[in-house]
Amino acid sequence: MPRLEETFAALRAQGRAGLVTYVTAGDPDLDRSAQVILALDRAGADVLEVGVPFSDPVADGPVIERAAERARAAGGTLATTLDLVARVRPAVRAPIVLFTYVNPVLAMGEGRFAARARAAGADAVLALDLPLEEAGLFRRTMASAGLDLVFLLSPTTTDERIARAADLGSGFLYAISRLGVTGARDAVPPAARALVERIRRRTSLPVALGFGLSRPDHVRQVGRFADAAVVGSALVSVIAEAAASPELIPRVEQFVRRLREPGDGRTEAP
Amino acid sequence: MFVKICGITRLEDALLSADLGASAVGFVFAPDSPRAIAPEQARAIVEHLPACVSAIGVFVDAPVGQVREIAAFAGLSAVQLHGRETPADAASAGLRVVKAVPATREALDGLGAWPVSVTLLADAMDGARRGGTGRAADWAVAREMARCRPLLLAGGLTPDTVAQAIREVRPAGVDVSSGVELAPGIKDAAALRRFFEAVGRESSEGLPAFGRRDPDERGYFGAYGGRFVPETLVAPVEQLEQAYLEARRDPAFATELSALFAGYVGRPTPLSEASRLSAAFGGARVFLKREDLTHTGAHKINNALGQALLARRMGKTRVIAETGAGQHGVAAATACALLGLRCEVYMGAEDMRRQAPNVARMRWLGATVRRVDGGSRTLKDAINEAMRDWVARVDDTYYLLGSALGPHPYPLMVREFQSVIGAEARRQVLAQAGRLPDAVVACVGGGSNAIGIFDGFLDDAGVRLVGVEAGGVALDPGRHAARFAAGSPGVLQGTRTYILQDADGNIEPTHSVSAGMDYAAVGPEHAWLRESGRTEYRLASDQEARAAFEELARLEGILPALESAHAVAGARRVAREAGPGGVVIVNLSGRGDKDMDTMGEGLTDAAS
Ligand SMILES: Cc1ncc(COP(=O)(O)O)c(C=O)c1O
Repeated sequence: MPRLEETFAALRAQGRAGLVTYVTAGDPDLDRSAQVILALDRAGADVLEVGVPFSDPVADGPVIERAAERARAAGGTLATTLDLVARVRPAVRAPIVLFTYVNPVLAMGEGRFAARARAAGADAVLALDLPLEEAGLFRRTMASAGLDLVFLLSPTTTDERIARAADLGSGFLYAISRLGVTGARDAVPPAARALVERIRRRTSLPVALGFGLSRPDHVRQVGRFADAAVVGSALVSVIAEAAASPELIPRVEQFVRRLREPGDGRTEAP
Repeated sequence: MFVKICGITRLEDALLSADLGASAVGFVFAPDSPRAIAPEQARAIVEHLPACVSAIGVFVDAPVGQVREIAAFAGLSAVQLHGRETPADAASAGLRVVKAVPATREALDGLGAWPVSVTLLADAMDGARRGGTGRAADWAVAREMARCRPLLLAGGLTPDTVAQAIREVRPAGVDVSSGVELAPGIKDAAALRRFFEAVGRESSEGLPAFGRRDPDERGYFGAYGGRFVPETLVAPVEQLEQAYLEARRDPAFATELSALFAGYVGRPTPLSEASRLSAAFGGARVFLKREDLTHTGAHKINNALGQALLARRMGKTRVIAETGAGQHGVAAATACALLGLRCEVYMGAEDMRRQAPNVARMRWLGATVRRVDGGSRTLKDAINEAMRDWVARVDDTYYLLGSALGPHPYPLMVREFQSVIGAEARRQVLAQAGRLPDAVVACVGGGSNAIGIFDGFLDDAGVRLVGVEAGGVALDPGRHAARFAAGSPGVLQGTRTYILQDADGNIEPTHSVSAGMDYAAVGPEHAWLRESGRTEYRLASDQEARAAFEELARLEGILPALESAHAVAGARRVAREAGPGGVVIVNLSGRGDKDMDTMGEGLTDAAS
């Protein structure tokens, strides 16, 4: 069974919502990025999103944009991201989703990218600026390499497109909690739940909700209606603040454990 | 110019009118008219019309319910009320309305009573027969009307009189019926052709060439274009496309824009022969298309007004834009001031420094200038920031993109608004040089001024279309902005096109002395035209652009924008290639006031 499918099946069996974490590959540098990914897995993240550093991340807010800049300054590229995945894969339990803009993939060649990503042990790909309409060939290439393709769905996405994304996507669907770029926020907007429910009516694929989630109570709240909560910018901020400190790895681990602790309570009283 | 062929009863006449360039065809639903048509017949014709031709139904004092019913049944895009309907009737129709008014003093005085959403048509009406009388309207009164409001002119126009009518009345469009007929309701193909030729020669307020060359339904020009946007922007971009396609079929939209072009922008801009420059180049006669003489001083205003009208039509209250040289930012701020929209402009910190006068202009025009410190702090980064803003505020915000770039429909829309440049230039060069040019030369930043002027000559196979990219200081990474000379296909900011990128697919930094050319991607339609062999691209270096700036100033008394100076520099070789007796048009996209800081204070004076 593909690793993502297995992970979400296990979460359902346990009656628990998952935690998906995002970090940018190579932030603050390749070695420590490898250690960060191992720490996330140790701390119990259920799915690991690994971002490919890109020069023009239009869908990202300043926190992840800065992370891409740090990673690029340390030599990070799509190729080093794939090497990084290959390096950590043997020691990591969680499925790994490559989070990327489409141009680096096109520059490598879609076929070559798919083969290398698979060989490195990646499980899925999410291309931020590749909407359904442009994804036909890309999806076939990923599928024939055995990679899941994850689509983002937004509050602006129509029901008809949700159905198509459910058709074309696999692994899980990623719901965006609100309009806007990535970046930590104080609260989970009420519309998030409505979107997840709208998606659920059209698919049995697992749904992860992300964008803006930053605290344990957000994760707990989202866990009540989605299969998983995604935490990105808040985690990336922890890395940014501790980048120069020997405490980097313990802090990352502690941050994720704290996110998770109350997160087991899908059945917990509100 | 908006041309409506009215009194259509036969499919062949409708199709020929469409082919010749009609913006609309009219069907008369007044039962006692000799040109009356049944709704079923009209519907059968409307089904065959190309999408860009509107079907307008003419009614005389019909009950509003009936008007609505026929409009829905026959697929009309507007109705023309030709009887004693009042402003209240027009407002209550719930449809796009053209209202015929007599060209009389009395009607002129009452013009203000008609809602602006109603397009007015001046006709020679009398009490007994409501229009279609074949008699000429009073042109002097019609002229007064055309000063107040975008006006369609009807009433006894013929292939022989329409040119003079356009000259005297300066309408936004013309409407003809009996003047191109063999018998009532039966059009004369030869007369139709002569009518369109006469309009083409004369129409001075050129309308954008809407709907002539659309990309495929996914927004591709060949392998280039498309729509590579984050999920949240998919729906807003689709809504934008729908709104645009609808707007360009609406006569009120076209007439309002063409009235602004004439009355606000100062179109048509002249085509000036540059005799001393021609002599210095030692080849062909060089003509300059003077977009520098538009209000705000660059071609950018053509697109900014078109899109700002669209924003207002879509009910958006907040407009955002990016700018490089500041010309698009100024144009957007201007259009927003004119239409009462809030405007925020993203601009790279580096560009704010080198185009400081334009920053001040935007602020005076009421816009907020938002400084962008990310990346290379130039145009590309300003676009990134504008896209981020848009994603967060799609509900109330319209993104007014300034060049023929970005996701579909922007490249199409920007080209169509800018196509007025090429349409005018073609007419003017035929009148002034008596022939088509050997070549048309334009600078290519994102590609909007170039695609706008090329559009007028694309079908003239003998005319070379030459784009000039920024060669910067050298063809090494980061030292130029030559996408075709040194780039490769990729995806940037929503579109697949030629971009400057490294082996890992990251966008390379760019350099040009001119902010408007300092950008890593080029409009997708250029990539396609180049691949098809129809257009060619060359380079002008920073130094060549500076030299051309100076030469044009000294020889012709014109300070060009540094962007446009690249076109002048590129034209030097093209003029020699065309040789004496040849004709070359250079698109002078903007004026150079903004570049005084960059150019210094006439440095060579010190030497002379
Ligand atoms: C005067 C002028 N010309 C040309 C350009 C380049 O843009 P485009 O290639 O879209 O015409 C600019 C852009 O700022 C400009 O201000």
